[in-house]
Amino acid sequence: MIGVRERSVAIAIVVLATVLAVFTERFFSAANLTDLFLANVPVLVAAIGATLVIVSGEIDISVGSAFAVCSVAAGLAAKAGLPVAAIALVTVLLGATLGAMNGALVAFARVPSIVVTLATMVALRDGLRWATQGEWVQDLPATFQWLGQSQAVYPVVIGAVASTLVVTMAWSARDLAAGRAIYATGSNPVAARLAGLDVAAVKFSVFTLAGALTALAAVINAARFTQVPSNSGLGLEMKVIAAAVVGGAAIRGGRATLLGTVLGVVLLGAIGPALTFLGVNAYWERAIQGAIILAAVVFK
Amino acid sequence: MRLLIVALGAEVALFAAIAPNFLTVGNLAEITRSSVELGLLATALTPIIVSGGIDLSVGSMMGLAAVVFGAAAARGSVTIAAVLAVLVGMGGGGLNAVAVARLGIPPLIATLATLSLFRGIAEGLTHGAVNYSGFPSSFLFLGQGYLGGVIPAQLPLFLLVLAGYVVLLHRSVVGRAWYAIGFSPSGARHAGLPVSKRLALAYVLSGLTASLAAIVYVAHLGQAKADAGTGYELDAITAVVLGGASISGGRGTIWGTLVGLAALATLQNGLRLAAWPSELTGVITGVLLVTTIAFRRWGSAIVGEEKPVRNGQVAIICATILAGAILVSGTNVWLVRSLQPSQLAAPKLGGVAEQRRRVTIAMMPKAKGDPYFVSCRAGAEEAARELGIDLIWDGPTGLDAAKQNEVVENWITRKVDVIAVSVENRAGISTVLRKAQQRGIRVITWDADAEPDARDFFVNQATPEGIGTTLTDEAARLLDGRGDFAIITGALSAANQNEWMVHIRKRLAEKYPDVKLVTVRPSDDDRDKAFAETQTVLRANPSVRLIMAIAAPAVPGAAEAVRQAGRTGVSVIGLSLPNMNKPYVHAGVVQTVVLWNTKDLGYLTVYAGSRLANGTLASGARSVEAGRLGSLEVRGRDIILGAPLLINKSNIDTFDF
Repeated sequence: MIGVRERSVAIAIVVLATVLAVFTERFFSAANLTDLFLANVPVLVAAIGATLVIVSGEIDISVGSAFAVCSVAAGLAAKAGLPVAAIALVTVLLGATLGAMNGALVAFARVPSIVVTLATMVALRDGLRWATQGEWVQDLPATFQWLGQSQAVYPVVIGAVASTLVVTMAWSARDLAAGRAIYATGSNPVAARLAGLDVAAVKFSVFTLAGALTALAAVINAARFTQVPSNSGLGLEMKVIAAAVVGGAAIRGGRATLLGTVLGVVLLGAIGPALTFLGVNAYWERAIQGAIILAAVVFK
Repeated sequence: MRLLIVALGAEVALFAAIAPNFLTVGNLAEITRSSVELGLLATALTPIIVSGGIDLSVGSMMGLAAVVFGAAAARGSVTIAAVLAVLVGMGGGGLNAVAVARLGIPPLIATLATLSLFRGIAEGLTHGAVNYSGFPSSFLFLGQGYLGGVIPAQLPLFLLVLAGYVVLLHRSVVGRAWYAIGFSPSGARHAGLPVSKRLALAYVLSGLTASLAAIVYVAHLGQAKADAGTGYELDAITAVVLGGASISGGRGTIWGTLVGLAALATLQNGLRLAAWPSELTGVITGVLLVTTIAFRRWGSAIVGEEKPVRNGQVAIICATILAGAILVSGTNVWLVRSLQPSQLAAPKLGGVAEQRRRVTIAMMPKAKGDPYFVSCRAGAEEAARELGIDLIWDGPTGLDAAKQNEVVENWITRKVDVIAVSVENRAGISTVLRKAQQRGIRVITWDADAEPDARDFFVNQATPEGIGTTLTDEAARLLDGRGDFAIITGALSAANQNEWMVHIRKRLAEKYPDVKLVTVRPSDDDRDKAFAETQTVLRANPSVRLIMAIAAPAVPGAAEAVRQAGRTGVSVIGLSLPNMNKPYVHAGVVQTVVLWNTKDLGYLTVYAGSRLANGTLASGARSVEAGRLGSLEVRGRDIILGAPLLINKSNIDTFDF
């Protein structure tokens, strides 16, 4: 389970942690770690979906736009007076539908996924901007923030949800036939079909699932605040794909572990705050991130 | 390919019907000019996609090459700068080549990494902020001039590169190798082709071409900044894929890419001329992309093989597109109606027609999606209704100086009466505004100015110095003249914010030596990012007692961070809109929001435009009459809205935007 890539990412994280421990004092405070945790759980949840899509041999760059649409939907659902469970359900269904749209075009119309998700990325983002006219969703009921919990309890609840999700997905990917089907489809679609797998159905399901996970991430994130902006999730697709790839996912499909994705999210999520704590100027941040991703894929 | 040409034909037909002056030589030149940069990228991308790869870093390479060019040209000759930029392009392409061809890293990942790396280096070198301009006009001719009065000057360069690629891809062994590699890399290797060398060549050439595109971009816009070419890679890929290239390799032609490019450029241009919102461009492009490819694959029984589209299917597609076109033009009833009377009345009634025809004011914000500008629009539309004029509101959806120029060019073609622009880039927009003036169109700037000789009047709500000073004074007041504070800005490259920060630092140095600016963090106009940055800043620098957030979404983001951290001793001020901050101001988390009445700004701009169009506002005027705002002062050629507003608990409820 712990492959070469996971090991090297883990080492990178340890190195970063050591540097931070030596040169800064406050990075490892409980409050800071909780903040970082809450900021990155949505990325992790979306990255799980992205990993599965990549494992199946496809790619999804519409994650950010779907995230934005689902966030606004969650806000509107709350304004309409729905209870928390219903808000989550409605949003996840919306996300699943958006994912299914992608999936149908990829699996049944056989349009390459980079093309489909490029089109949906632009169409959803621009469509949302047009529909909202840049306005935020405001005056939400008080139960929206923290989904009715308190600020202290929320991280615990989300932590429980996220870890259950990660463990379940990791186990399913390995031990359920459905999970193995995804790996088979990604590593050799022709062989998979000849072995009796319905490749189209697998791909369709993976995109739908990824859409549902993105929507869940959107709800978890939106509930940290009292207003929903009309343009959230900017750059999310790059973040999740980078996390999956740094964590060892092969872009051609058929190889990835969820542990690797978790480590990828941790590493990439820690860079920004680490640089702030170390006093590095903000305008080198993007270059450093690019260098790290490059290093991660070069050193196999 | 047939299908795409049909779609292109349908586009042309549709826009010729509903968009004024679409089918003119001038507009054709404009479409050509605006597609050269993208065309260069798409051309270079074609062999890469044909060989089964992809290059996501072309747009970022444009940014890096532009910045290198700008820095070198500022210190030496333009020629040397160009050579340096090209070398940088080849170097970047070489990096991609090594990663993909030598190290075997999947191109998607390698170029995803270099996308961040190149853009990041460009931002790092310029601190995101530096904007090179002041290039010699002989150089600017390349991007802005016309050969023989008609042909855009950058076209010969494009044709040269195009010819080179056509020969390379379609008439040489190298091109055949690319196709072979795309079909089957292992097969190509076994056939004895030098796969690594060929792939490396494709990526190096891509970097080189991207740097050429950067030079053209700088000449076109008159500025060189780190954000040049942002987003271009996706448009380039769209053009190539639309043109028939298979994303898995082995199929595609330069000609196809050209048609794809034409389809995209025509779509954008036509939508703007027809005054449709620019968000539609994205939606329609997406639909076009998916539909053409889905139909291409329709009917292929064997995985990987693509049968040509049957005639019956082509007919169905034609009918669908034309039906859609008719629907669209049908719903554009007011446009059609507004065109007809002026055409019918002009020959018959002459002078009277001038008065009966409604005045058209075309107004452009910096970014359509920004809530600040959305509130300006509300005021503008109010004024348009009162005055009975037609208001076109359009512009880029995000900060994009190149798109602003394009939109203005389209308005010139459309022959609007007044153009009112909130300028993202001073040097870049001024050329095209002067062109508008030469064509008899009145020009106003609002919110952010262009060069003074390029516009008739500037509607000024507050000078950057005024804003910087007001913010700094408020911060100093809340800190009692001593203490640490941090700034959360918008994007590192945002011109407004950078200008304010210059004045903030100046004011601090002059008046408040004991107030220290500890750090500046970007929020990229993302509320969540502002939230995260503020959290980190507060923890990393516990001495900070004030957060100054100078982008609208950043203030509520910072406020939420301060509130959740329970840091009641930390003040939050900034430049933002009242509505999104009301809960925080009432809770005492945000002390002051600095602004002006944005609705009034939009309202005033439209009134000024209208007065300008009918002659009641002319140079030398001391005041302008602006509806419910009464008579406002005109200082020189600046129309003053008023002083910045300090919004706090006592007055925030009186505002609703």
